[in-house]
Amino acid sequence: MNSTIEKILKKPVTDHVVITCEKFETHSIRFSNNSVNRENLCKLAEEVRVEVGYDGRTGSFSTNDLSEDSIKHAVEKAYEAAKLLPKDSEYMPPVTEAEAAKIKNFKPAFGKMSEGRKYGILRDAFRELKKAGLNSAGSLSTTPLTFEVYNNNGVHISHSNCVSSLTLTAMTENSSFRESHISKDFADYDGEVFISNIIKHAQLSRNPAPLEPVKFTVVLGPSAVEELLLMFLWYNMDAKAIDEGRSAFSKRAGKRIATEAIHIYSKPDHATASLSPFCPNDGMPFIGFDMIKNGKLARAWYSRFYAAKKGVPATGRFPANIIFKGTNKPVDKLISNVGNGLYVNSFWYIRLVDLMDGIFTGMTRDGLFRIKDGKLTGSVNNFRFNQSVFDMLRDTTEIGKEKALFSMACASIPPITVKDFNFTSKTEF
Amino acid sequence: MDNLSEIINYLKGKKVRFADAREHLFRERQIMTEDTRVEGINEQNVSGTGIKVLYENGWGYASTSAKGMDSLKKAADKALSLARNADKTATGKVELAAEPKHVAKFATKTKEDLFGPGVGDAVAVLIEAGETILKGKDVIKAGSYLVFRNVKKKYANTEGSLIETDISTVLPQIDATARANGEVKSRHYWPAPMNAGYEYFRGLDFKTNAERIAAQAREHCFAKSCETGATTLILDPEHLSLTMHESVGHPTELDRVLGYEESCAGRSFATTDKLNNFKYGSELVNFIADNTLEGGLASCGYDDEGVECQKWHMIKDGILTGYGVNRELAHKLKLKRANGTTRATKYCDVPITRIPNLYLAPGKKPLSFEELIADTEDGIYIEGMGSFSIDQMRLNMQFGGDAFWEIKKGKITGMLKNVVYNAISYEFWRKCDAIADKRSFKRAGFITCGKGDPMQAAQMTHGASPARFREIMVRRAKH
Ligand SMILES: [Zn+2]
Repeated sequence: MNSTIEKILKKPVTDHVVITCEKFETHSIRFSNNSVNRENLCKLAEEVRVEVGYDGRTGSFSTNDLSEDSIKHAVEKAYEAAKLLPKDSEYMPPVTEAEAAKIKNFKPAFGKMSEGRKYGILRDAFRELKKAGLNSAGSLSTTPLTFEVYNNNGVHISHSNCVSSLTLTAMTENSSFRESHISKDFADYDGEVFISNIIKHAQLSRNPAPLEPVKFTVVLGPSAVEELLLMFLWYNMDAKAIDEGRSAFSKRAGKRIATEAIHIYSKPDHATASLSPFCPNDGMPFIGFDMIKNGKLARAWYSRFYAAKKGVPATGRFPANIIFKGTNKPVDKLISNVGNGLYVNSFWYIRLVDLMDGIFTGMTRDGLFRIKDGKLTGSVNNFRFNQSVFDMLRDTTEIGKEKALFSMACASIPPITVKDFNFTSKTEF
Repeated sequence: MDNLSEIINYLKGKKVRFADAREHLFRERQIMTEDTRVEGINEQNVSGTGIKVLYENGWGYASTSAKGMDSLKKAADKALSLARNADKTATGKVELAAEPKHVAKFATKTKEDLFGPGVGDAVAVLIEAGETILKGKDVIKAGSYLVFRNVKKKYANTEGSLIETDISTVLPQIDATARANGEVKSRHYWPAPMNAGYEYFRGLDFKTNAERIAAQAREHCFAKSCETGATTLILDPEHLSLTMHESVGHPTELDRVLGYEESCAGRSFATTDKLNNFKYGSELVNFIADNTLEGGLASCGYDDEGVECQKWHMIKDGILTGYGVNRELAHKLKLKRANGTTRATKYCDVPITRIPNLYLAPGKKPLSFEELIADTEDGIYIEGMGSFSIDQMRLNMQFGGDAFWEIKKGKITGMLKNVVYNAISYEFWRKCDAIADKRSFKRAGFITCGKGDPMQAAQMTHGASPARFREIMVRRAKH
């Protein structure tokens, strides 16, 4: 394939031809009721995307047919589309060699997991959970991947990585608890610790007690923080939207938006939460930068176009990863400092309620526990919240140890303690 | 012999209990505009073959984008080896509901090929809509999103079925955002996405609607805040399409009900002991599942396990009467047949139970929309989809909307803002006390319904006539 692409780029149809290749080799094993009885699949997804610019306009075409004819056809279709479009006021030429030279590539180490190891992890889990009288559902997946970007400026960059995960929900007759392990290749997976922690919490979640929704001091587990924070950032961090008055940050320029201790940043080569050192769509180098620091918005997210217009470095419309700087306090330590409150393991179905004030709604899910005198004392019925993320960032009183996570993006997120978290209604379980 | 039949024969020789193979060509054009520029055009052709194998009591699925027999055999062997591994963890016997052998073809009725007109034609329409929106007072942003999709499939299984389908889908959306009076508010025009050809897109009136949404986005900025408290709601068909999707469509997927989706999409309160006896809504409430609906987004002739598309009552006179059922789980309800609503997004995806085309049947008594409003003393009228969230058992739900108006003494008066309502799903449907008749029935739908692991996006049509709900808890979204 490389030789085909090089051939095309030797005689590019215009002065703007970008060809990107993405290769994902996924093995995903899904289970429920303590057996592998759902999606159990292998897929090799290889896709080529061609972008052709012509006189200030850009067309693109993607295909998973990697033959020479097909890639040439994609070039023609992208060129044809570009010619039919109106001139783009935000047109950007391809990444140059000088720009690409700023990419800090890295080589994450990961091994290949055998089928025996994967199904073995699951069989062990099913055995222990059955022994504990619990049911389970979840999935184990491994995805080695490669991103490549070529263009007619002579750029050819490539990065290989791997994302593996085990997500497991353990269920009693009337409750559940979920935990995940995100890794490159499970070399860091300790089945005994992982499963015993799940069993302990699932047992504790049994028979949720009725409780009315009010404002509570909460310890939010890393998943809960990630789900809410990433949604908030996604809606509000675009620099152009902020300048155009369409973001919650628009009316908060220069204002304090978080407590001093909160530091949210991106670091493309982070040890556990890295995916790629460049943007897979165009080869733009991802940079490390602070997003929220010293209580203020430090830097928003800039597309290549908007960064060039404003004379600042581009971060991408979504950066390489999201790191919320943690401490070395385990979550138990955070719990031990709460006299009366709730531990929220994760959230579910978070949606925007009010853009300009950063208000979101959502439900608690898979583990909502009462904290009394610094200890988890049992579970309670799930709640709906309607919460301003600005209030959450302001009212965060303690920060714990980071955990690698991967839902919307690569992330490393700690548990946090927040006072006055706004629960507004309850449900029947 | 064609490749699919050959690979099915190959697997028959490997003593599988069941296997099917699906050649799947997915073609799509997405156009996004921002103000008067094209923000992006994504065109894609993704094709390949997926092979599903049942060995003893274990399932395996593997796929390949290559076309040759060698690659297909490799994928078949892989699917078989995965199925053997799964079988080792099996806890029960897999029983497949019988389905007649189908040798058939099905295609969306279209007049004009979606990909016939060049991309420039559609872009020109969207840019013009953007220009119209931006002429609106205090408007700061115009946007659009257009999808043309064509999916061609060939399906074969070990029971002798051989099915070809050819489905075309159009999804058009335009949006306006205004900033005034210290507020930023958006309004959209999302005509129903349809299985249709280019003629459907051509027939839409973007100009009038662009002017309307630009003016309403601004008006929303000056609206007064709603009061918190229980009130009467009248909901338009587009809005109801989202509430029914979340609170009726998903809870009646049998795989969810039986716990198979626990780890991702969640479960359902509508458990099988409630079938034919649970009061899901008031007696006025009838939900029809219909994958034979012409132009419906889930109307595909035959689903991805070779089952013919069907029509059934999900809820009849307020009582839960059905589920979306695949071949593997039908026997759990003692059903003889699955109901043809198992679909996969691309060739590499495993077919799973999806929400069918599902609509709230119009009221049987003559009642126009105007009469429904006139019959309502006080309340809130909501149009369009906004914020939406529901718990994983599909009980506690909270919805916003795209635009809200106050109803006073039987008349729609000024616009309201900051409206969200909160209810337990079945209690909400029990509080439905009027549904307008078929004259005001409208469709809406989705092409991005997420389910499965790995996640897949499915499409289905919904629809309703405007309906009224009493004593619903409305909350002011912010103070
Ligand atoms: Zn859905």
